[in-house]
Amino acid sequence: MWKVYKYTLIDLARNKFVGGWMLLLLAISFGLFQLEDQPVKAMLSLSQVLLALVPLVASVFTIVYMYDAMEFTELLAVQPLRRSKILGGQMLALGTALLLGALLGAGIPLMIFLPTGASLTLLLACVMLTLVFVAIGTLIAIKNREKARGVGLGLVVWFLLVLVYDAVLLWVMFAFSEYPIEPWIVPLAALDPIDLARIMVLLKVDLSAMMGYTGAVYEKFFGNFRGILIALAALLAWVAIPSSVAFRAFRRKDL
Amino acid sequence: MARAIFENVGKKYGKLWALRGFNARFEPGETVSVIGPNGSGKTTMIKCLLGLVHATTGTIHVNGERVGPDPKYRHHVGHMPQISRFPNELKIGQLIDLMDDIRGKEKGRATGPLVHDLGVHAMMDKRLGTLSGGQRQKVSAVLAFRYAPKVLVLDEPTAGLDPLSSEILLAAVRDIKRTGCTVLITSHIMEEVEALADRVAYLQEGALQFLLPPEDLLAATGESRLSKAIPAMLVNPANAHVESL
Repeated sequence: MWKVYKYTLIDLARNKFVGGWMLLLLAISFGLFQLEDQPVKAMLSLSQVLLALVPLVASVFTIVYMYDAMEFTELLAVQPLRRSKILGGQMLALGTALLLGALLGAGIPLMIFLPTGASLTLLLACVMLTLVFVAIGTLIAIKNREKARGVGLGLVVWFLLVLVYDAVLLWVMFAFSEYPIEPWIVPLAALDPIDLARIMVLLKVDLSAMMGYTGAVYEKFFGNFRGILIALAALLAWVAIPSSVAFRAFRRKDL
Repeated sequence: MARAIFENVGKKYGKLWALRGFNARFEPGETVSVIGPNGSGKTTMIKCLLGLVHATTGTIHVNGERVGPDPKYRHHVGHMPQISRFPNELKIGQLIDLMDDIRGKEKGRATGPLVHDLGVHAMMDKRLGTLSGGQRQKVSAVLAFRYAPKVLVLDEPTAGLDPLSSEILLAAVRDIKRTGCTVLITSHIMEEVEALADRVAYLQEGALQFLLPPEDLLAATGESRLSKAIPAMLVNPANAHVESL
């Protein structure tokens, strides 16, 4: 697996997109910290940008890369290598490259302008979202033979999770406001990794007004630290489940 | 011991059988041309052997080892695909290093069959993304021959190669079969089939129609060229004699 990881990473390190992703985040981050008077406000604005952009870039880039590497994957698959090692190496390399892009692009400005636990939590949320959407992107690429369909599906999943799911949750909340639905909101929020990442960040910043309904429920139920840990555990499940489905599908896939 | 044995191998995609009841034994040191019209099952047969596609029915053995989840049997297999694409940003030398790592071969980029003959030694620092189709085929050929395979699978190997490189490649095929390697070649170029094949396997609609030496095909049809003997064989089913297991 490490051989595939090493050479895939070398390929990705020279990929212009990964460098561009880092530069884009650097520009956005520095720009926001320059524009805002208070670093906390800039960090919150940055978190809104990152929580939307990181999943989009991670999933679409993963899907496109996996399709473009299909012939190379076939070449690896006719070598004396288990398929799980091929996929593991590729996923790890994709995760590493995207994480480096995100951590350098957003991490450097955050550590310069606001070196606090909140910034670290935001970076941790970016790490988790990158891994989650690399796993989801890989699964989509393995399950769909056509690149256009795969990319389209990736965009749909991102749109659902970044916007639609929250809207549905809000509708549920209003529609059933006369019923004791709070206990249901916690598991329902866990069904959206972007929601979970946002809750993690805002629990750390401790700005209840900006948490939204699900964040407030998490805080009420678990308190700040426990809430963050639970959100983190749920995000880990979001990495593990699509990854294991992707590995299983790849083992059985006709290449 | 046969190098590759197919026993009742079939592959179904949805409701369509791309390959049906395929039985064949491929012996050491023989070259078999696998031919047939588009969609006849050639690629599926080869992909089943390589483990890229999971057979729906039957079993395949390569050098005595069963084709399945355990990838060890692939130490004996070399493959040159029809279309080769590699990671754009890797250099040729790095790709060879990766394959050497996987195969457990000592490093020596510039050594090995075809490296010098095809001029690949002079391109080691070239990015794979900058190569022409023919150059990619050369790299692919070097990788296929590099690890002394017992079974070598060449899918339209000369497509995209210049005439000189094609000759070099075909000479390498003749050389490697002398070492006992079994070579399976798919090709639409009848001259290549006539020049190389010890036996010709003809597939149609997923089924093996015949597997015969070229001399037998010519004798059975009374033709002097394979390009005429094969259609004649198909027109007159009485001629069709499947020599397989």
